[in-house]
Amino acid sequence: MAEYYGSKVVDIFNTMPVRFKPDGVKGVDVTIGYDILGEGGGTWVVTIKDAALKVEKIAGDLPKCSVVMTADAEAFVGGALGKIDPGEAFASGKIKVAGDIIILGNVLPKAFEKFTPIVRARAIVESMVERFRPEKAEGVDLKIGYDLSGEDGGAWTAIVKDGTCTVKEGLDPDCTVTMRMVSEVFVGLNLGKIDPAAAFGSGQVKIEGDMMAAGATAKLFKKFEVAGAEEKQGEELISLKCIPSIRHRFATGSHMGKWFKGLKEKKFYATQCPVCGRTQIPPREVCAVCRVRCDEFIEVGPKGTVTMIDTVYYASPDPLTGKVRQTPYAALFLVMDGSTPSESFAHELNPKDLDRIESGMKVRPVWAKERTGSYRDLLYFEIDD
Amino acid sequence: MAHKKNRHVGVVGIGQTEYSSHKEYQNQVEMVNEAVRAALADANMTLNDIDCVVHGNMELFEMVHQPDMWHSLGTGAFGKPEFRITTGGTTGSTLVCAADNLVASGMYDVVMAIGLEKLQEGNTTGGITNMADPLWFRHLQTGALTATTATMMIQEFGEERARRAAMKYRIMMDKHAVLNPRAHRRFGLEYEQMEDLMKTSPKLVGDLRLIHMCSQSDGACVMIFACEEKAKKVSKKPVWIRDHITVHREEMFNNFGIERPEMTHHYAARKLFERNGIKNPIEYFDVFEMYDPSAWWGLDWLREFFLLEGDEHIKMLENDEWGLDGKLPVNPSGGVTSTNPIGATAMIRPAEVALQIRGDAGAHQLKREVKHGLASGFGGTLWTVLIMLEKDLKW
Amino acid sequence: MKRVAICAVAQHKIEPDIWYKRFQGMLLDILEDIQAQTGFTFDEETGVHDIVTCSDDVFDARTISNAGMSDVVGAHYRGEEKMAQDGLNGLGYAMSMILSGCDDVVYVAGHSKESQSESRNMCTNLAYDPFYGRPLGLDYLCAAGLQARAYMAKSKITEEHLAKVVVRARQWAARNPYANETNQLMLGDVMYSPMLCDPIRTLHSYPVSDGAVGLLLASEERAKEFTDNPVWITGFGSSMDSYFMGDRDLASNFALRKAAECAYKMAGIKDSKKTVDLVELMDCYAYQQPMWLEGLGFSKDGMGGEFIDASGPAKYNVNLSGGHLAGTPLIIGGLYRAVEAVLQLKGQAGEHQAADVKCAVVQSTTGGAGQFHTVLVLER
Repeated sequence: MAEYYGSKVVDIFNTMPVRFKPDGVKGVDVTIGYDILGEGGGTWVVTIKDAALKVEKIAGDLPKCSVVMTADAEAFVGGALGKIDPGEAFASGKIKVAGDIIILGNVLPKAFEKFTPIVRARAIVESMVERFRPEKAEGVDLKIGYDLSGEDGGAWTAIVKDGTCTVKEGLDPDCTVTMRMVSEVFVGLNLGKIDPAAAFGSGQVKIEGDMMAAGATAKLFKKFEVAGAEEKQGEELISLKCIPSIRHRFATGSHMGKWFKGLKEKKFYATQCPVCGRTQIPPREVCAVCRVRCDEFIEVGPKGTVTMIDTVYYASPDPLTGKVRQTPYAALFLVMDGSTPSESFAHELNPKDLDRIESGMKVRPVWAKERTGSYRDLLYFEIDD
Repeated sequence: MAHKKNRHVGVVGIGQTEYSSHKEYQNQVEMVNEAVRAALADANMTLNDIDCVVHGNMELFEMVHQPDMWHSLGTGAFGKPEFRITTGGTTGSTLVCAADNLVASGMYDVVMAIGLEKLQEGNTTGGITNMADPLWFRHLQTGALTATTATMMIQEFGEERARRAAMKYRIMMDKHAVLNPRAHRRFGLEYEQMEDLMKTSPKLVGDLRLIHMCSQSDGACVMIFACEEKAKKVSKKPVWIRDHITVHREEMFNNFGIERPEMTHHYAARKLFERNGIKNPIEYFDVFEMYDPSAWWGLDWLREFFLLEGDEHIKMLENDEWGLDGKLPVNPSGGVTSTNPIGATAMIRPAEVALQIRGDAGAHQLKREVKHGLASGFGGTLWTVLIMLEKDLKW
Repeated sequence: MKRVAICAVAQHKIEPDIWYKRFQGMLLDILEDIQAQTGFTFDEETGVHDIVTCSDDVFDARTISNAGMSDVVGAHYRGEEKMAQDGLNGLGYAMSMILSGCDDVVYVAGHSKESQSESRNMCTNLAYDPFYGRPLGLDYLCAAGLQARAYMAKSKITEEHLAKVVVRARQWAARNPYANETNQLMLGDVMYSPMLCDPIRTLHSYPVSDGAVGLLLASEERAKEFTDNPVWITGFGSSMDSYFMGDRDLASNFALRKAAECAYKMAGIKDSKKTVDLVELMDCYAYQQPMWLEGLGFSKDGMGGEFIDASGPAKYNVNLSGGHLAGTPLIIGGLYRAVEAVLQLKGQAGEHQAADVKCAVVQSTTGGAGQFHTVLVLER
């Protein structure tokens, strides 16, 4: 459909409900007829009564209206965007008005927020090259497919490689990740009008392929800014980011001290409650059930039986290192040999066993070559076969 | 036998902000103040009527030390007594228990409880992971994400049935949330989307998918409690706090062994119902606002809270008994999967129950008369707080 | 109103660095001590079923810092609530749990290690708002410095007055086996110690301290099950001052006066000078001793200097434990003061026992420069 200054005639009428200001039209009762000529034009009637708005596209002739504007499509859009001076357009005959002309001057500005160009998916995708941030793309090799449905949609592939970004039409078959959604959702996400988590969560956005890569694309591009859009948000919000950092030195006490010493020696120490006999691993000073001091240590494991597996696809950053683990990975719950059956021990699984691990299997610990008496001494568990 | 309360305590005011993840336009003080004003307006009271303030919000989420000191600018605690009690996810409900204790004790006649969170000003997952022992497990914990319950339910009921049930529960919660203008996430999901969501919602951990998991929300909730005498004077419809129980468990997440201990939800329900002579909780209660951080947990815990057996809870879900028109409506507000401002979440539960009892819940008001309400709080290493609210002083 | 008793108390020796135990070990010692004294249990019917803990998430670097203590305070399948202000408020709250009828026995336990973090000031800097106070570098020490300046001018406090307070604190601390800093000092040592945060000198400030405490509270009906010698909580009050330093009259004791008024009213005390035999107050910095004593009504407003000259603190048995000044961890400061007061009332304070103590006042602060005050009245 024909575009003038980047917008279509229909955009102006389609956005009227959203731009409507009911508080500005108290006591107003008017009908405004629009006869827009040229490619992409048409006939509309806009009714404002009792602080309510009705916008209707008409086939055929206009009914009787308080005022009728007849305009050349380009002048109509240009005038709405402030690209051309409406006064000049009126004078040159590109815009004609019949009926109560005062209405246009008085009512319209109070009834509607200024029209701003509708952003379409194509504009956003094509601007990706310009918005690309090579300094964030070191070592990145990605193909991102965009499959956007709807009238203003399309299919594109963005290729990020060797510090450059190119965008081409069509979806490559070997995209690292493909994002599928209605084009309006894509636009809404890029303009910050739709919350990404809500869109993904509710199924409006479907992701195929590497989900973590999808999340990483955002930082590769500068935010899309609408060209020439006025600052309608009000005051600018200043955002200060600060990471407070206070070093701590944690005491292990006697029991965790023994636990870490044990790890160094490739041993697992547990405490045993003198009253109920349950083993606790890692060892604790007290049995929570019996509420008595537990100073008896026994060795358990080193092997154990898996009771539960948690396969993690979405990793959160390791709070001690800030790094994000490679996904997927599995957390294990296991009962150590020699442990009482109610006490499970949680740790990680050797990634190589991810496809084979099942509840009930026997696992054995894998130790770091150099052990210092820290949690890093125990790397993970693997299937004991 | 339930303990004999020194005197009765009624909820006379409720105030909530909208819950969203974009409250950049307010600072913490302004956000709290909005809810405080709303509660005072609801109670038709002024700050002069408040004898004591109770505040709760976890420091390591927004990284403000002793935040109640700063928030005093918005809470109105200037010149007043105040208590600050924080217990992780259960905080909001703990504050309700605390306010109940403080008013019932006779020490204060009118107590205002404030729960709030501004997660966008901190790092939520980091904050939650910091609850683990710094010596052990902190390097393993992934915030609050786990699929252990999903795995257990699939084991017990079969993959297809369990997955469908969890998704149905989630969609049901969203349908409730859509009616609640304050709820954070209102997707407008339809049951027809069940198959699609079961396949396409990204997996977080195991069978726990993004759609199942609660949001990270910002907002504040305030409740005002008064002694019976004042409550009756001030309010036409005070909602009475009948009883409450708090149940914690040991520090480690060691409960996935071969034998599994009783869940605190079950223990709390058992004790609370027993001492209040409630033999059939599903018959007794008219509404249950449950703290359900994920759809899997919410569904599983229905069995725990109502002391059910086998697949009764799933059958009830399949027969729409937990819905707005069902036998025991659960989370007419949309629950925690739709809205989770952690410090306030557990207070929103009894607040929503109170609104239902008053008939003031708005679009998500239940059609049936609501006289007996139940609200739960959850947090920490799988702790439970359970609160009973009543329309009439008859028990 | 019915009465609530403190049946037994236990305290861990306060040290600059308890590296050899973690919190759980410290609190286990406390639990065993109190159980040995009282025989209390966590039995579902007859024992404790609700616990009040006290700890500071920022100082502990742990969200829900009470979660780690569940096992050792007996909270497994019991109720537990964390008091996140100074622990003295935990006693007021525990009292309400009993007076409400919800509980008849409550166990209160608190812990903190100031040695764990690299800097107390970095922790308390986080108490200031992120836009102005924090970037300015405000922390509780700086706030105290500002208040000290205002107070010293108002109440004519000299360097010598402050030195006297510190010297006396050390003298009493030496008689308290649980106290942290017991090195004896001369006036000159204090007066010429290096400036820490003008006008607060290093020796005016409480040293970095680690500790843990526990108390067992019971209803009047059940107190005798646990002790022959109950101490009654007869008064409780608390109040909040404004947040921004500029909004406050720093030397006015606004919040303390309100808190004390409320506590004294509850206890039926018309003139604290006549009724009170002993005071345990939270003096983090030397100037706070005379200042809080004005707020508590023992010294006339603006007369703190003269009060010290007239040996007022000795007259009212102020801080015979050595006080906070000899070293106590911040969040449980009030609890340690309460523990001392209880021991004094029970006649169990050993070498630092005062004669014939029947009524004691305990005070604590939360927040910078005493923004929030809590006052407790205990009687035999």
